[in-house]
Amino acid sequence: MTSVCFYFQVHQPVRLKSFSFFQIGTDHQYEAVDVNFGILNRVADKCYLPANNKILELIEKTGGKFKASFSITGTVLEQLEAFRPDVIASFKALADTGCVEFMAETYYHSLAYLFSAEEFERQVKMHTDKVKKLFGVTPTTFRNTELVYSNKVAATVKKMGYKAILAEGVDRNLGGLPPTTVFRAEGTPLMKVLLRHYRLSDDIAFRFSDKGWSEYPLLAPRFANWLHNMKEEGADTINLFLDYETFGEHRAAETGIFQFLTYLPAEVLKDPDFDFATPSEIVAKYPHEHLYNCPEVTTWADEERDLTGWLDNNMQKDAITKIYALEKKVKADGTPELADTWAKLQTSDHFYYMSTKYWEDGVRQAFSPYKSPYDAYINYMNVLSDFEALVEEISAVVPKTPGAIAAMSKPAETGEAAAPAAEAPVKKAKAPSKAKAEEASNTPAPKAEPAKKAPAKKAAK
Amino acid sequence: MLGWEFPPILAGGLGTACYGLCKALSAYADITLIVPRSEEKQKLEDTNVKILGLNYTGLDEELPYETPRVPYETFTEVTYVDNPDIHPYPLGIAYTKIEYKETSTAEDVRNMYSTNEPYGPNIMTKVALYADVVTQIALTKDFDVIHAHDWITYPAAVKIKEATGKPLCLHIHSLETDRIGEKAKYYDNMVYEIEKKGMQAADRLIPVSFFTRDCAVKHYDIDPAKFYPVYNAIDQAPVFRLPRELDEKIVLFLGRITFQKGPEFMAETAFKVVQKYPNVKFFVAGVGDMLQQLKDLTRSQGIFDKFIFAGFLSKPKVQQILAQADVYFMPSVSEPFGLSALEAAQFGIPAVLSTQSGVAEVMDHALKADYWDTDKFANYIYALLNYEGIRTDMTKNTKVEIDAMSWDDSARDVYEVYETLFAS
Repeated sequence: MTSVCFYFQVHQPVRLKSFSFFQIGTDHQYEAVDVNFGILNRVADKCYLPANNKILELIEKTGGKFKASFSITGTVLEQLEAFRPDVIASFKALADTGCVEFMAETYYHSLAYLFSAEEFERQVKMHTDKVKKLFGVTPTTFRNTELVYSNKVAATVKKMGYKAILAEGVDRNLGGLPPTTVFRAEGTPLMKVLLRHYRLSDDIAFRFSDKGWSEYPLLAPRFANWLHNMKEEGADTINLFLDYETFGEHRAAETGIFQFLTYLPAEVLKDPDFDFATPSEIVAKYPHEHLYNCPEVTTWADEERDLTGWLDNNMQKDAITKIYALEKKVKADGTPELADTWAKLQTSDHFYYMSTKYWEDGVRQAFSPYKSPYDAYINYMNVLSDFEALVEEISAVVPKTPGAIAAMSKPAETGEAAAPAAEAPVKKAKAPSKAKAEEASNTPAPKAEPAKKAPAKKAAK
Repeated sequence: MLGWEFPPILAGGLGTACYGLCKALSAYADITLIVPRSEEKQKLEDTNVKILGLNYTGLDEELPYETPRVPYETFTEVTYVDNPDIHPYPLGIAYTKIEYKETSTAEDVRNMYSTNEPYGPNIMTKVALYADVVTQIALTKDFDVIHAHDWITYPAAVKIKEATGKPLCLHIHSLETDRIGEKAKYYDNMVYEIEKKGMQAADRLIPVSFFTRDCAVKHYDIDPAKFYPVYNAIDQAPVFRLPRELDEKIVLFLGRITFQKGPEFMAETAFKVVQKYPNVKFFVAGVGDMLQQLKDLTRSQGIFDKFIFAGFLSKPKVQQILAQADVYFMPSVSEPFGLSALEAAQFGIPAVLSTQSGVAEVMDHALKADYWDTDKFANYIYALLNYEGIRTDMTKNTKVEIDAMSWDDSARDVYEVYETLFAS
């Protein structure tokens, strides 16, 4: 038997508005509300809704044989909740079929793993809670932002209670093995690792509409045939991991991408030895004898499969170092809103926009709201300068006792991914303002720590 | 080849560009460069470029001169009106008249060009006489192509073409519409007329950027197909850094203080920057007809003390300030190229440039805004003064870019433009 595992990444960052240096110290609203709203609407209408409907239809038509999995970031979930509840409802409908798995990741699609263990854990927990609240299912499989992975990531995530993790199938770590079996993580042999089959994934994500590609146009029967041929190699699982926005946004509907999706399941299922499965089904179903050894951090990006898209030049390093340097102050003194603003500035996209790699071909610029990486950096730094000043201001007036965030982010006692009961982890309070901050100096530090009070509950199996 | 400014006599980028190009081009072609004034009959070091200065007219067998001159049609009325206000170039020179003796002697010619001032109030006379003398010289020589730099040599170039029938390439380093704006097109501006007639008569036009080509097409109504833009360049040179002598960071403005260079936009930008970042000095190196206006403007804005007006600086002095500056700022309204931006970049100074410049076309790693967008200029300058990440990255990336440039590339392109003249 061979399983085909579809996993789709769903993400929209909270883009920053054009923020001039004049606004430093006077304007604490950073979001490009109109831009984000416009893009969200476009992607919802061109991709999320039609693709969700298509997948729902395929599940029904195949009697539940078609399966897929999703990782949806907190930043896009929040935006959808606010502006496109119809999309949330359509994901909920998918969840209700039982044929769709939702995975865990960092709420803010951040690179927190690389900079702060505490913040990483906080964000993953927030995300798991959010998914559970919205879709009624608790993720047991983890995928890190941009598939940031190493042996250490696997160990960390295991401790947090997740059973399996996704990673890029990086040739240099595979030692000639195909990425089509279930692996176990070197150093954490109880952690299952599913590796992205990058060639086949990228055939759909990148090459699909490339008229210069020898396989163009790629139709479902041919692709299914490639999958069927892999039976000979003894493939257990073929992991097709791609951005969900491939459908209708990165590849326009006119390219035939939806037709491809429509016909693929039936074509794949023509071979009785093939099925579709979700990550948690696959790790339960197949043997896992090989260890995947990944001592250095890898990602799913660029030829090198490394971090250089986000952390290469001085601008990227400067910006990301400065944002994480605020952690202590934000957590000690801030309101949940301050922490939220801070965390939204951690979203990896901000640093990707600053990338000067591949400057000549403008690959990065295609996905950037900025004209150049320099503009991206300057805008981010102007925002960050204002935020730093704000944090300083609040820090100066708030009494030195642990605040709500600090308490919240204490590791859960059980050591498992703790899901707080019904309560939402972040209590809505007023946005921080100077007046508020001054007020706070006369009153005790913000309290209400739901996570602390709530009985820690083991993650559902 | 016909030139006007040439080291050591320089007023702007024209002389530097001619020098760089001549030197590199000599690897591909034999060049005789005729300029109004040379130090002596000189040969450019390490090259076979022969330089003839009209200040040696009649004293050198290569510089013959006879009266009466070869017949030609004057391009303007020959009357004398002195205009003492016309200094320095280019203020108003387009409206001066020509003082012209029908029978100039070789000595008269020598006297005319034995001056350190390449322009001056009698510039139109100089231009007319240059055309006359140079045509005579050209008739004694064997050559294949006439290549002339900027309007001051265009009348001579056109006359040589008429007298010899040789193909004509005009190099465009700057246009009257760059220097004084669109008003150049009206009021019988003589420079504009010379440029237009020259461009019409030329076989090939070599502007220093596509920006300049577009200006020429738009303002002079010239056929776009005649243009072969060739960028200026810079050769590798040793650079150095010096410890800053001032407590403040330095934003450097290098160039003539004229309409073309956008001094009022600099003042407006400076005003915005200092509101948020007072620990800065705007260092202005250069003179020009708007200097006083700029000073007055900064006084009325209360930022005069944020400026240093250094006047015209010699090359070593310029290098000293380049070695200390933090930002290079060029808000030009219309800049055909902007060679000094490359010099600054060579010194590792991040640049903020106007989009209306040729150099912006070759510097990917500069920050660019429209010349009137002082908000954006100020935002960029503030960032370069405050945020370390962008300073180091821009300096690094600019260096790679500058190191890849050479005058040889430009010279090869120019030579290939010549070749198009002889392709059947």
